[in-house]
Amino acid sequence: MLGNRPLVGNFRASQRLRSPGQTAILLLLLQIGCSGSPKGGPVTVTLPTSMLGAEAVVLRQQLARFMAEHPGIRVIQRETPDAADQKHQLYVQWLNARASEPDILQLDVIWTAEFAAAGWILPLDRFRPDTAAFFPSTITADRWRDTLFAIPWFVDVGMLYWRTDLVRAAPTSFVDLTREAASARRQHGLRYGLVWQGARYEGLVTTFLEYLGGFGGRILDRGRVVVSSPEGLQALMEMRRQIYEEGVVPTSALTWHEEECRFAFQNGEAVFMRNWPYAYGLMQDSASSKVAGRFAVAPMPASSGGSRTAALGGSQLAINRNTEHPEAAWAVVDYLTRPAQMLERARVVGQFPPRAALYDNPKLAAVLPIPPAEARLVIEHAVPRPVTPVYTQLSEILQIYLHRALTGQMQPAAALAAAQTDMQRLLNSVGLGTGAAVARR
Amino acid sequence: MPGAEAKRAVEQQEARLAWGLVVPAVGTILLVALFPLLWTAWESVHLHNLQMPWLGRPFIGLANYLEALRDPRFWGALGHTAFFAVTSVGLELFLGLFLALAMNRAFRGRGLVRAAILIPWAIPTVVSALLWRFLFEGQSGVVNAVLVRGGVLREPLVWFIEASTAWVPVILSDVWKTTPFVALLLLAGLQNIDASLYEAARIDGASAWRQFRFVTLPLLRPAILVALIFRTLDAFRVFDLIYALTGGGPGSSTEPIALYTFNALLQNLRFGYGSALSVIVFGITFGLALIYIKLMGAELTGARR
Repeated sequence: MLGNRPLVGNFRASQRLRSPGQTAILLLLLQIGCSGSPKGGPVTVTLPTSMLGAEAVVLRQQLARFMAEHPGIRVIQRETPDAADQKHQLYVQWLNARASEPDILQLDVIWTAEFAAAGWILPLDRFRPDTAAFFPSTITADRWRDTLFAIPWFVDVGMLYWRTDLVRAAPTSFVDLTREAASARRQHGLRYGLVWQGARYEGLVTTFLEYLGGFGGRILDRGRVVVSSPEGLQALMEMRRQIYEEGVVPTSALTWHEEECRFAFQNGEAVFMRNWPYAYGLMQDSASSKVAGRFAVAPMPASSGGSRTAALGGSQLAINRNTEHPEAAWAVVDYLTRPAQMLERARVVGQFPPRAALYDNPKLAAVLPIPPAEARLVIEHAVPRPVTPVYTQLSEILQIYLHRALTGQMQPAAALAAAQTDMQRLLNSVGLGTGAAVARR
Repeated sequence: MPGAEAKRAVEQQEARLAWGLVVPAVGTILLVALFPLLWTAWESVHLHNLQMPWLGRPFIGLANYLEALRDPRFWGALGHTAFFAVTSVGLELFLGLFLALAMNRAFRGRGLVRAAILIPWAIPTVVSALLWRFLFEGQSGVVNAVLVRGGVLREPLVWFIEASTAWVPVILSDVWKTTPFVALLLLAGLQNIDASLYEAARIDGASAWRQFRFVTLPLLRPAILVALIFRTLDAFRVFDLIYALTGGGPGSSTEPIALYTFNALLQNLRFGYGSALSVIVFGITFGLALIYIKLMGAELTGARR
């Protein structure tokens, strides 16, 4: 069966399947110059992209410029769904079938380890990318077993939005956050103190990750799950306290995703909000937003034992391991992740560039809705979610137990212990765990 | 005799024709029903995780089944499914019977009422789920506003963060959507009952209740059973409604077995484990169908006697 063979063997096996006749035809085609000839016509590489909105337009322009500069390479865009889950499913189908196309892949930050461990994407170290130019956390997320597998394309980070007209400065500790949320809310008659994504989905894990980092805890330490720790408990208790004791976070936030939070904040109903950068530009539009010009962003707060933490999201570019044109694919990846292209994306779609030096570039200040210094401060606190091939499954377990603890179905300590046991058992079962699956519940 | 021989030849020819006619249908059934089923069963005894190709695809016997049986989330999901099926189908049957009896009366605009009652049934499940979500969502949602103003609730309720309250919109939306279907099935059954039986009952001085109890109900039983079969099997496969309404939350306390299977198969891409879950669900629905069919068979022969 296919899956039992090592990857390289499979690849060769599929090559061997070509009969002499097929090979002859292929050679003929190559000579005519239909595709992929080393000499003659241009090499064709494919890139799956969204075809919607300004993002698609800017990418099309960039690829057109690339092709003008590189007459030997033709880039074809292939349409993919926008929803992350669907895109993931489609990629897995293609890559499992060992298809040589698409040559270039656009990966969500949490997929890199999965695709790398599966042997689906090409190690990039041989192209000698300048990794030092990128924010370190973005590179950490793109490495698996000390090998680089993807290049950061744009950065997403969880940030604390705060109302500059209601609060004097962004709080740096959880105590201050809760206190100021409560007092500003009371004083100005706002409906909510703080809103964050608390529904049972990936967003809840990113919110929790920021509290957890703020108390100095982690989810995973190499192959060992360490979320059931004093720090983990403090983080979860703090989230519960903000809901049930202080009343600054509404219970309905436990059903909210990003957009519900943004609506509450832009209607002027909340003092603070945890959300991603996309909301910034939208809320500066005074036609739809009541808080335009009256908010700013900062990293989430921390307690004395931890550091301010921003969950890292964003997109990466990687190369299909079975591509027939690795060099051409790399040329495209390299071009798209250069400063000029990143600046253009920042201008058109407001995405944060992952190159640190750009934040000193006055051009970025001119195009980004957020002051680059504010953005940079948050990105410097960015922490990747656990870099592991089974992240989606780990996250699903954690989501359920966190949500049970937050909705009062379980005690926080018991929920974290159970989550840790289940997550460790999962890691061990696929040969990635180095911790004992503690069976204490 | 030559006549008999010719007859036999014709019979043989007809038999061949019959086979020829049946083969495409049987082939199609084998291809679209049996083949996927066997394939799923085959997958279910293998370790097959698309995300982890390095694990290979070894035969692991019943390990996937054992994992499911040891997983509290599986049993939870099974329990939620059973709860949903019993509650929603029970309510639908009760309300459907009530509606059918009402519609069976002759009154002005009866045709219009019969058509209007089908509107919820015509709305796609996901749309109706989102509609109900909108009604129940938020502290300023429609349902909260009505209940608070009406003095039923002292303060708005966040329906989706507690298991007991999260079930309310789930069950209500299913009942709202499928009661018309049940009502229509029962109405068809009611119209098959001979009016002379009621006449005879009235002459014997039977009260309305006794007429219902001893004439309507026994004669309606086949229709009730048909409605039950359709609805129970449907309810057991519930997916889209809950996926759109609660996503299985809070925690996993409204997660039905179909959603759990969907997560294993399509979110986590665990084809082996997901297939084992599918086989279990298939077994349960198949068992339920057998029980119902047996009941109905007995019922029909009983009615003929």
